[in-house]
Amino acid sequence: MSAPNEERGDGLLDQLAERLMAALPDSVRELDAQIGERLARIPTSLNEYGVDRFGMEPQSVRRQLLPGALLYRRYFRVETSGIERVPTGRVLLIANHAGQLPFDAMMLSVAMLLEAEPPRLARGLGEYWIPRLPFVSSAATRMGGLVGTPENCRALLDAEECVMVFPEGVRGMNKTFRERYRLQRFGTGFVRLALETRTPIVPVGIVGSEEQQPGLFDLKPLAKLLGMPAFPITPTFPLLGPLGLFPLPVKYRIHFGEPLRFAGSAAEEDAAIEARVAEVRTAIDKLLEAGRRQRKSIFS
Amino acid sequence: MNKVLITGIASPLGRRLARRLASGWSVCGVDARPWQGRPREIAMHVVDLRKRGFEEVVRSERPDAVVHLGVLREMQGDARNRHDLNVRGTKSLLDHCAAFEVGQLVVVSTGTVYGAAPENPLYMSEDEPLSASRSYPEIRDRVEVDALASSFVWRVPEVRTAVLRPVHVMGPHATGMMADYLRRARPPIVLGYDPLVQLIHEDDWAEAIALALSKKLAGVFNVTGPGVVPLRTAIAETRGEPLALPEFALRPMVRGAFAAGLVPWPEGALDYLKYPVTLSGERFAQAAGWKPLFELREIFAAHRERRSEP
Repeated sequence: MSAPNEERGDGLLDQLAERLMAALPDSVRELDAQIGERLARIPTSLNEYGVDRFGMEPQSVRRQLLPGALLYRRYFRVETSGIERVPTGRVLLIANHAGQLPFDAMMLSVAMLLEAEPPRLARGLGEYWIPRLPFVSSAATRMGGLVGTPENCRALLDAEECVMVFPEGVRGMNKTFRERYRLQRFGTGFVRLALETRTPIVPVGIVGSEEQQPGLFDLKPLAKLLGMPAFPITPTFPLLGPLGLFPLPVKYRIHFGEPLRFAGSAAEEDAAIEARVAEVRTAIDKLLEAGRRQRKSIFS
Repeated sequence: MNKVLITGIASPLGRRLARRLASGWSVCGVDARPWQGRPREIAMHVVDLRKRGFEEVVRSERPDAVVHLGVLREMQGDARNRHDLNVRGTKSLLDHCAAFEVGQLVVVSTGTVYGAAPENPLYMSEDEPLSASRSYPEIRDRVEVDALASSFVWRVPEVRTAVLRPVHVMGPHATGMMADYLRRARPPIVLGYDPLVQLIHEDDWAEAIALALSKKLAGVFNVTGPGVVPLRTAIAETRGEPLALPEFALRPMVRGAFAAGLVPWPEGALDYLKYPVTLSGERFAQAAGWKPLFELREIFAAHRERRSEP
């Protein structure tokens, strides 16, 4: 389906993207075509304006995932294991979160699109402050991401979507290098939602992201002053400006565990819920440990 | 034939609804302004809802049903007067409905009362808090009207009361803020934001009000149209050319333009251009069997024609 913008000939972004694509080498265009093909295999229910009921727009997903896919193939050289364990239908991908900027989320969604069979669109559930950020907020929505409220998560799972959740949140993403591969406190909401909606949980261990941008410490007072969730100091940030947050060319490995299917009621006490959260956490820990043992260095 | 009394009957929606209901109801109405060219069978009284004259109208007309559209929506003008008119006017209407044994009441509120906040989930249910006035003080009176009516649903169950919260109403005669916004050649947008919006055709909206009456609904209901579109798509489809400005520049501009009377929207309305306020229409669909007739394309096409209600 063509976007209504194009008919009127002023889809500046579309024209720009087209020019850019024409100037790129063949291999990149092939990758773009591959993304397009795999996206087309994902069943969606779009309205006459090419968006689904959550605001996801495949064209925009394709445009945004291309740089992600390039990083995936060329820069992080991502390898996956166990991706065939992800069941069809509604599923929660629960992963560790690190690296100052959410490249791990990006790599996980590229993996689900390029490597999973059939391809899936992993929907991200973000922190409450993300919609405040200009450009980020609209880009995230067009990608199929939503604010991480229980209502939104429930709606996505009821629609049989694949939802990725990073229960460590900012605690994980902005932790320091010393704490790499040490899982931070997990939120518990995802287990309650899994119980309520009878959704299988796939634990995911992402190796690589935890070293991509080593945080020396977190300048919390400055973060508060700027209204940011964290202000990481890394060897290159803020020294080199925003570019200083660009990740090192670490090797990514994404390990998918066996799906966990919990039985029980979502209304159980915290203690009962936390036992299940701990189970997921342990599963991710094991995946991370095994993954780290496999590799020779963080770059290969 | 049962009798229905419509407050705000001279407004474009009031006129439309009066005509729509005239086939099945004996229709009368009140408004602060007269309605020239009104059909003969529709009786109307020019009164203020807060004054004794209105009580006399309810006493003498003895309506079986009341539809309350009579609130002042324009944010330009005296804010204190608007608040008093809307809140005290609604209170007096509710009191008269209880005192004169009106069987059913439909109160027209608006979906904007939920407020535009970054943490809004998509498709909010009627149970979400009404937080609009947090960053949009000018809408406080509408929130209070909604709250008064919503508590009346449970407080006085003898009057079967339905509170309707529609998404943005569009069409050639629609006069709401979004309708006005989407009629502009260069509607301003906040750079970097493109929230989903929900729209409903004005005929569907009038139909929904009539349906709430005929089904004798009691409760609070969101009323939704055919689906969601990004704001920029809505602007493109209504032939607008968005004027994208960063928030730090747009805020003072809108503040100044509102103060100077150039735009009808105060600064607080800008949040509706940043964050989604999308409603779940499931409750109304289930209770009334509601299904909108007009598709998005038809809504946009209709909106591009500007007409005034006869």
